[in-house]
Amino acid sequence: MAKSKLALAALVITILVASSLFPASANAAKTLYIGGTMSLTGPYAEDTAAVLAAYEDYAKYVNETKRMAPWRNEKFPANITLEVLWRDDELKAAKALTIYEELKAKGMLLYRISGTPVALALKDRLNEDGFGAPSMGGGPYLITPPGTIFTYYPIWTDDLAAIADWFIGQWKGTRKPRVAYLTNDSGGGRSIEVPEMGAYLKKLGYEFVGSQIVPLVPTTPPTTQLMWLKENKVDLALGVMINAGAQPTIKEAVRLGMGPHLDYKITFGMTASSPLPVFAPAMGEVGNGFVVAGSFPPLDDISIPGIKFCNELQKKYHPSKWVGHIQYVAGMLEAMTQVEALRLALQKMPFEKLTPRQVLEDGFYKIRNLDTGDLSATPLTYGPGKIEGVDAVRVDQLQKGKIIKLGVWPCRHIYKR
Amino acid sequence: MGLRCGTFRENYAQDMAIFRTRLHWGVLFAFLIFLFTCPLFFSDRILTVMTMIGIAIISVHGLNILTGYCGQISIGHVGFMAVGAYTSAILTAKLGWSFWPALPCAGLVAGIAGLIFGLPSLKIKGFYLIMATIAAHFIIIWLILQLYNVTGGPDGLAVLKPKIGSFALNSKASYFYLVMAIACLATSLAINIVRTRAGRAFVAIRDNDLAAEVMGINLWSYKLQAFFIGCVYAGVAGALLVHYYGFASVDQFPFMDSVWYLGMLIVGGMGSTAGAIFGAVSLKLLDELVTIVGPVLSKIVAAQAAASLALITRGLVIILFLIFEPRGLGHRWGMIKAYFRLWPFSHEE
Repeated sequence: MAKSKLALAALVITILVASSLFPASANAAKTLYIGGTMSLTGPYAEDTAAVLAAYEDYAKYVNETKRMAPWRNEKFPANITLEVLWRDDELKAAKALTIYEELKAKGMLLYRISGTPVALALKDRLNEDGFGAPSMGGGPYLITPPGTIFTYYPIWTDDLAAIADWFIGQWKGTRKPRVAYLTNDSGGGRSIEVPEMGAYLKKLGYEFVGSQIVPLVPTTPPTTQLMWLKENKVDLALGVMINAGAQPTIKEAVRLGMGPHLDYKITFGMTASSPLPVFAPAMGEVGNGFVVAGSFPPLDDISIPGIKFCNELQKKYHPSKWVGHIQYVAGMLEAMTQVEALRLALQKMPFEKLTPRQVLEDGFYKIRNLDTGDLSATPLTYGPGKIEGVDAVRVDQLQKGKIIKLGVWPCRHIYKR
Repeated sequence: MGLRCGTFRENYAQDMAIFRTRLHWGVLFAFLIFLFTCPLFFSDRILTVMTMIGIAIISVHGLNILTGYCGQISIGHVGFMAVGAYTSAILTAKLGWSFWPALPCAGLVAGIAGLIFGLPSLKIKGFYLIMATIAAHFIIIWLILQLYNVTGGPDGLAVLKPKIGSFALNSKASYFYLVMAIACLATSLAINIVRTRAGRAFVAIRDNDLAAEVMGINLWSYKLQAFFIGCVYAGVAGALLVHYYGFASVDQFPFMDSVWYLGMLIVGGMGSTAGAIFGAVSLKLLDELVTIVGPVLSKIVAAQAAASLALITRGLVIILFLIFEPRGLGHRWGMIKAYFRLWPFSHEE
């Protein structure tokens, strides 16, 4: 009896696996898919959960109203429904590859990238198949041809260039300011260690000291790395970190008396991967002086049309499950970009004849000054060879526990390959 | 003279034969025909899954020789895959070599790296060896990141698809054939390595290294041989992986994958070539299943919780196998075969 039960269980599992491997009959109704690969487990889990929530909210909004946003007049075709399709890739290249093939077989015409490992694994494949994809990862590697992956915030070298611009502008010392990298141990974190970045810092008048690497999610405070900065008299530490790395790093720096207002004067500047709206509530005044470039406006600033829209969608669709993570804004920008690409492509080609390459060429590449309600630093513009959607970098600083906008600097586009 | 009943092994050659009956040969040919006609009736997606399984099988065979047969537990296996991957990537992308000589070189360089990191295995074992192999992974990745001009550092390296003459293996089907051919060759080699003097020495070292040494087995030499062979397999698998991606990046070789490869070995059964295959196939398919089930479940529970199902399920499967079937699926397969061999005279244990 026990053996028959086991055999039955094995049979059911086999059928489930086998059936899942066959492609679904895509596009039976007039449905277009948005979404793509998500990293709902792993270091980006919290960020991606917020991104997914935004995708789902935006799809519901467009399906119900057929509008693109409250401040826009364009309409999405009335006879087409949007559906969010996603799979968890665990931020692993190998998983992302099979997920991509599955979603492509299901009829997806565009894609999304969840982070650096996935971007590097898929970028050539996406180009071969003509898929356009907004990306949550923003390393300079995206600039390298082929360029069908798009960012809605500046790539990280441009983020850091803006911080360097700001810092040198308010430097009052008599010697050259000393700069070092304090970045995380991942492909994304290391991606700033390119000759162009060093050359730009030197051109601005910095003395480059070296690099210190911190684990993506540190299990012990990075005391050694911080002490190295202190011993080398570093004035500005630049890097790529996620909040899980930035928070323990800054806490330890404060304990060691390192900060813009502490005994040892040093400023820590990070890319948008460590957004201040997540950092600030967790750190409060302990994080005073921490600078982040390329981030989004905070979710409580409803004077910004895009933020007001985000809040309205959340109130409407899941009032009891409020998503307070700032990456909800990232998800909103991605969803807006994907739907805009589909809308533009549908103007050129009927639904039945739409292909990924058409969505790329007549959709993504034709996006000009997409008004995001000020969610992004500037309206988004893409094209062949232009994958960085914004032209400016917003720089914020934590002061007295509050996020203060320091200003907007132009994208320097220092990484050219 | 009585009627002969059953399969008799009357000499050493017959006793050592892998395929003993016509049925064995028939099943082998049927399987190979099925395998190599898959691209005719399977979609690109299934071919991608099967290609990834094929690469995992090659890698797990290496780990099985090192850990399953020789008892040298390695959690740095993916690091050696990275060595092979970058060797092939550099030779093809930077030096303009063809893929075909680059592939064995990838295996060779990974094997040499294995020899270097295997050196401590003479002095240390068990938990301490595990720590040494973990260190190997991080040292390798660190070196790759530092050698910016050679490896591309964090930017990685764009890698070309293999070519046969002017025919590039660009399609899913063509790469599937390549991987499956190498996986079959790797399986055949793995089976035969175990049947050699070295293979028997590996097993002796695994079961009791002191006794093995007393019997005259050179521990130093055989342990290093196991590291070399295991890492050659890893290097070849790594090279195949990056040529499939078309890009080499350190992010494609996360430390956790080494743990999952060990998990495949546990589920399949350590010290069994069939087990290595069963382990790779079953955990990869399980991975596919839970990836698909996650979004369905997200209609009931939070998306993040649903996605975590993959991690929980994989971990649970490994734990359940450790408790209820520590000898793995390979052993279960052996029992099923024995049951049918004796049928209809089978009996309960």
